[in-house]
Amino acid sequence: MNSSNPNDFLPPVLATWRVTPPVNPRFRSEVWARLQSQTRESYATYVRSHLTGWTMVAALLVVTAVWTGHAVGEAKLNAKRDAMVVSYLVDLDPRVQAKIRP
Amino acid sequence: MKHLLTTLALLTLVAAATGFVAYQRAGDPQVKAALEQRDAMAWLKSEFSLNDAQFARIKTLHDAYSVECEDHCRAIQEAEKARQDLKQAGADPVRLAEAERSVRELTEICETAIASHVRRCAAEMSPAAGERYLAMVLPKIADFDHRAAPDVGLNPHRH
Repeated sequence: MNSSNPNDFLPPVLATWRVTPPVNPRFRSEVWARLQSQTRESYATYVRSHLTGWTMVAALLVVTAVWTGHAVGEAKLNAKRDAMVVSYLVDLDPRVQAKIRP
Repeated sequence: MKHLLTTLALLTLVAAATGFVAYQRAGDPQVKAALEQRDAMAWLKSEFSLNDAQFARIKTLHDAYSVECEDHCRAIQEAEKARQDLKQAGADPVRLAEAERSVRELTEICETAIASHVRRCAAEMSPAAGERYLAMVLPKIADFDHRAAPDVGLNPHRH
């Protein structure tokens, strides 16, 4: 009867086994990147990271809004001014008065 | 995506508010007030930056002209009535043409009178204001003769 254990060769092998994994220099940054991608980005962070683009969009929108608002206001004023000139001249013009008076 | 939409909404609100303010601030506040009140004399004063002395002189000119306007108005009405009577009576073409000419002559006299009046008013203003005033009113005076009576609902005539 063979009393020797078939696994007896393992202890000396395990005793000499050394694990030498390759070093990943970006290990930390990759871990942080994965963590950040799973957490919600704050609004302030979002704005800060897109500040230049949004500033340009805001400036463009404000300039357009000012120009449009001013133009619409002037157009409305001109229409009222035109009506006022007509009203003013109706009072002064006998030709019109002759038509509208009984 | 949510941040993008939030930012767009915020900027739209800011732009709308800015546009509204620009709309409100367009034009001179005094001119706008006079136009809102449909007060022709107040408008004249603010639109052409008349000082009190200029305004008083123009008002005097207007008052004096209203008497002349009344006479012209009556003369045109009489001439038009005479023409209408002749038409209804089936008068001969010569008399009708004469009545027609009479109406036309009176109308031309009126146009000349009103143009002279507004030139006198313009002379009371500063040169730039007078020029602007004439540029505004003279084309309309000429236009009144070629078109139907304009919108007269704004200010009923009072002699």
